[in-house]
Order: sequence, then structure tokens, then C-alpha cells
Amino acid sequence: MSDLAISTLQTQVKPERSAVGSLRIVQTASILVIALVIVSPLFMLFVASLKDDRFQILADMGSFRAFWVSNPTLSNFAEVGNLSGELAFGRYLLNSLIILASTVGAGLIVNSMAGFVLAWGSLRGRALILSLVIALYVIPQESIIMPLVIMVSRAGMTDTFAVQIVPWIASPLYIFLFYQFFAQLPKELFEAAQMDGASVFRIYRSIFLPLSLPALATVSILMGIETWNQYLWPILVTQTDYARPIAVAIATFFGQDSIYWDRAMAASVLMMIPILALYLAFQRWFVSSFVGSAVKG
Amino acid sequence: MMGKRLLSMFVASAALGIVMSHAEAKTVIHVMHQGDPGWVTTYGEVAKRFEAANPDVDIELIYAPHDAYNEKFSAAVMSKQMPDVMELDAPFLANYVWSGYLQPIKPLIDQDILDDMTESNVAQGTYPIDKDLYAVGLTDSSVVLYGNRKYLEAIGARIPKGVDDAWTREEFEGYLEKLSKLEGVKWPIDTFRGYGIKTEWITYAYGPILQSAGCDLIDRKTWKSVGTLDSDPCVDTLAMMQQWVKNGWVVPQSSGTNQFFAEGHPAALAFGGHWFYAEAAASMKDDIVVMPLPKFGPKGASPNGTWIWGITTASEHPDIAGKFLSFMLKDKQYRDYAKNDSAYPGLKSFAADSPLYSAGGPMAVAFEQASKTAIARPPHPAYPTITSAFMQAVDEIFNGGDVKAALTAAAEKIDTDIEENDGYPPFDEQQ
Repeated sequence: MSDLAISTLQTQVKPERSAVGSLRIVQTASILVIALVIVSPLFMLFVASLKDDRFQILADMGSFRAFWVSNPTLSNFAEVGNLSGELAFGRYLLNSLIILASTVGAGLIVNSMAGFVLAWGSLRGRALILSLVIALYVIPQESIIMPLVIMVSRAGMTDTFAVQIVPWIASPLYIFLFYQFFAQLPKELFEAAQMDGASVFRIYRSIFLPLSLPALATVSILMGIETWNQYLWPILVTQTDYARPIAVAIATFFGQDSIYWDRAMAASVLMMIPILALYLAFQRWFVSSFVGSAVKG
Repeated sequence: MMGKRLLSMFVASAALGIVMSHAEAKTVIHVMHQGDPGWVTTYGEVAKRFEAANPDVDIELIYAPHDAYNEKFSAAVMSKQMPDVMELDAPFLANYVWSGYLQPIKPLIDQDILDDMTESNVAQGTYPIDKDLYAVGLTDSSVVLYGNRKYLEAIGARIPKGVDDAWTREEFEGYLEKLSKLEGVKWPIDTFRGYGIKTEWITYAYGPILQSAGCDLIDRKTWKSVGTLDSDPCVDTLAMMQQWVKNGWVVPQSSGTNQFFAEGHPAALAFGGHWFYAEAAASMKDDIVVMPLPKFGPKGASPNGTWIWGITTASEHPDIAGKFLSFMLKDKQYRDYAKNDSAYPGLKSFAADSPLYSAGGPMAVAFEQASKTAIARPPHPAYPTITSAFMQAVDEIFNGGDVKAALTAAAEKIDTDIEENDGYPPFDEQQ
């Protein structure tokens, strides 16, 4: 190659490289901006939880002082961490954790079993059942909430943990999600296990379930967030502190005349931790599930 | 050995049976309430003191957050789990009585408490059809105009001495304009838009501005809103308020509810509730001035009414429920908490014990309004629709919407609700 040709090639490559570099800068800057938008409210929440003057928190909100605390204190956390008394926030947090663990645990079993049966079972009318399940998904929770309140009340379930767990274990969305995942697995897996004499339950438990970690992670996170953020339902079906979750307790700080930002922020931070931990624990599979769904269409 | 085991099991079962039958013998009174952490704790302590004085009664407190209180009560009604005693926002009383949820309270409450009620307190608990009392409270409420003394002196504003001396609309708007140009003032007034439209604030506090201007949310004789809420005085008054917002004179909703006493005192005036005084005065000391609400038209008007207590028709032990309410309203620690919270007196004995509101007290003008300018919100079963429609209209107007169109839409919504309920008989016969 002549010197002239090499020099021409270099001049052609240089602008391409600089264009790629600029693109990367724009991409990085965009990601940083998006990350900042997502992280800054959480950071502000955490900073505010370390301030003990609720009026100062409010006054700081309109400026950069919202992201800075000069005299940090854990007094708000101490006030909302009590396990007994009139407003036992520690107790409410514990209640929320019990409801979360039970709903998600039972939800994974029930929904995955239902999804598996719809995908591989020999049940008659599976297609119709699946259509009904999908149709149920479009019904908003709010529209059935009052009849549901009457039902659980007649069943004597009000003010219990069960009333906050049982109605939300089976979900059309998660059944469909599991169905979709199981249906994509190779047919040979099922047939080979069948030929070896494995029962349907054995095939589900020993072969398909271990392969469905991404689906399990996705459902755990989505169901976890949904359960953790339940607000109206627990208000309607609980009467006392016995089984009330923390989301309801935090509302106490938003009174008719005053808002107790200091304690509300500390309680919100406490409330955020378990769900954040759940997400971090399952993040790898959660992301891979979404990527898988995107690739497979 | 076997015999001893059986005997001990029998004794244990018998003991358990005795304990259980004793527990069952207790009368349980369910009390539904709202309130911030301080009030929740106070109610809990009152309940404990009542239980100590009445060992055969258990008070079970049912807390519902303020913004979901009505939903909680609706669920309780539908599931047939109404409490014995319930806290209710006074303007909703007519709706609750009309719906058959509350029972007359006079025979159930100690006579000395009934005799102790202020006129405004009686008014907020009275059902307009049978004129009977259905609810009682220790407190009442009002809204006043708070001012920053330094700013008012800087613009040479006249400080009203009492309710009869209130600013006129012209004076008020003139001062707002002057304050908008004064150094240090970011917003001439905080009308507490920060409370949002999920609370009663807009109807409670802005309704009297309309009444002062010569109109109302609804005609209180014909119970029709079209022709009243969208009448010229109402349109003119809300156009005036919209202009304040457009001028940048009003603290925006996003800036919260403490700009009057926040660092630097960015708001010069505050159109605020009586409960605002304690926080503002603690921060501003002598710089706070308490004034009556301005007259926006031919007469002065101010709001009243607060959360009061009623006994439901579902109560199987209304006498004990009444006994608990009487106990609570006389409870010293309960009253002390209310006093420290700068609660507005609804009982005369509580007023006498509240130097804040007595003659010469810093909030005396607020108490003076109760007897001179207080107007209750419309005592009609359609009130939930009235307040929701009005709040939506005001929100639309403050966000730049057409005033006449927004008020007409609200008025039509109110009238439609009344028509759909056949006029809420016997309210339709009042016409």
C-alpha cells in the first residue's frame, strides 16, 4: 500500500474514531444524568432522615441544602424503631416482612405450579383457562376491592396476617409469566423425564423449577414490590397494630394539619431497605430474565 | 400418674375457661379515629386511663390515616364492622346522619359537657333536619390572616384591631401588590396550597372567601349549585385569586406549608389555620401579627368545624360509648395535649383554660371570628360531592383554567349528584 493510500485511510479512520468517542461521551453523560435523576431523590430521602427539624427539612427541599446535613442525628430512627407502644414502627416493619415473605414464598409455589400445569399439564381446556387468566389480569384491583372486603369480613379474616397474604398469592400476571417461561423450555426435557417414569410433579420440582431461576427472580421482585407497597388494602382490612404493615404506619406522619417529615423520612428509609435487599439479591436473574424475554421476543 | 395428669389438665382447662369467660365478659368499645402521632398517642393513653377506671370495658382504637379515612369508614360500613365511636369531619355529619350511621348523642353524653359547648360547637354537631345533636368535640377551628410585622410596617399597612376592623378587598390587594415589591419578600401570601386537594383545606379555607364576596358553594335554601357557585360574585372572586397566582404572589403548592416562618421569611402573609400559630409564633416570636380574615365583599366570613366525635347506630353499647366520650372530653391530660397543640376551643371551660384565645390573648381575634363571622360548610348529605367538585375546580383555576367553565362544571356535578339522589329527601322538602 502506498504512503498516499495509508495517509488517506488514516484521515478516513480519524473522524470515525472521534465520532465514536463523542458518542461514548454522550452515552456516558446520558447514563450519568439518568442515574442522577434516579439516585438523587433516594439520597435526599436518606439525608433528610438524618435531620431532626421537620421544618428545616421542608425549607431545605427547594435548594441544594436538601442534599446536605450539617448535624446528622439518628434520633428519627430511634423514634421510629420502637417495637411496642402506640406507634410501634419496629413492629409494623416486622409485620411487613412477615407479609412479604409469606406472600412471595407462597406466590412462587402457587403461580409456578399453575403456570407449569398450563404449559405442560394434561388438563382439559388449558387454552381456555389461560385466556381467562389473561382476561382477569386487566381487571384493576380497586374495582374488586370492596366486594373482597365484604368476603374476607364474612370469612372472619379481618385484622389478620392471612387477610393480607391469601388474596394476593395467586396472580394472573405471575401465572402467565411462569407459563410463558415454562412453555419456552424444550419439549424433549419433559418427554425424557416422562419416559424415565417421573411424575408431573417430579418433573416440575426437579427439572423445570431449577431451570426457572430468572422467572422466579422476576416474580419475587415484582411480587415483593407489589406486596411491600400495599396501602389501601391493609387500611381496609386491619383494625389494630397486630398485623398492620409499615406503609400504613408511615401515613400517620402525614396528618391533617402537619407533616412530620423527619420521622416520615426515617421510616421511609427503613421501609426501603428490605425491598432494596430483595432486588439486589435477585438482580442478576431479574436482568437476565428481561434480557432473555427481549431476545426471544 | 395418669390420674394426676388428667387432673392437672382438668384444672388447667378450668382455669383457662375462667380466664376466657372473664375476658368475654368485658365490653369492647371500638373507637375509630385519625390524627398525627401526637394525637394517636394521646388517644391511646386516654383509653388506658378509661380502662383503668372501668375494668369491665376494653377500648379498641382503630386508626385510619387522614387521607384514607372515608375509604376506611366505607369499608367498615359495607362489611358491617362499624365502630361504636367514630371521629368525623364536621361537614360530613349531615351525610352520615342522612345515611343512618350516627345516632343522637344528647342522651348519651354528660349534661355538663352539653352545657359547656360553644354555639359553634353545637352548630358543627347539629343535623339541620331534626336540629338534634349528633356529635360533640373538645375543639373547633378557624382561619386567620397571619402577618409579618416587619414587612407590614415597611409598607405602612394598617393593622386591624378586631373582626369589625378587618381589611377590605381593596386594602388587601393593595398590600399584596406593595409586598410583592418589597425587598426580602418572595411571595406576598401563603394560602397553603401545599395542603393539596386531598385534604379539606380548599373548601374549608377558600369557601368563606366566596361567602364574604356574596356567594356560596350552593344555595342553602334551594340546595342548587348552578346559579350560585358559578354566579358573577364567585367567578369574580376566584378570578381575583387566579390573578394572585398568575402575579406570582402566592406560595406555590410545591413549596410546602412553612414559607411564612421559614428561614428568611419568604412569605409576608399567611392565610392559615389556628393550628399554624404555635409553630409560627415559636419561630417568629413578636414578629407575628394575627389579623381577622379580610372582607372580600359585603360581609366578613370565616370557616369553622373540625373533627368531632359521634356514636354510631351500630353500637350495641351506646351508653358505654357515651361514657367513654364524656370521660375523654373531661380528661385533663387530653385537654393539656390539645392546649399545647394550640387547639381552638369548642367547650367554654376549655376556652377559659386557654389563654391563647381569651380576651387579650394572641389568638383572641380567631375566637372572636367564631361568634361574628363563622359560617359552617353546607350541612347537606351531598357535601362529599360539593367539596370534591369545588376543590377540583379551584385546582383547575389555580393552574390557569377558565374560571367560569370550571365553576359551572363543578356546580353541574353537584346538582347532578343531588338529582341522582332524588334531592336527598327530606332535604328537597326544605326548599
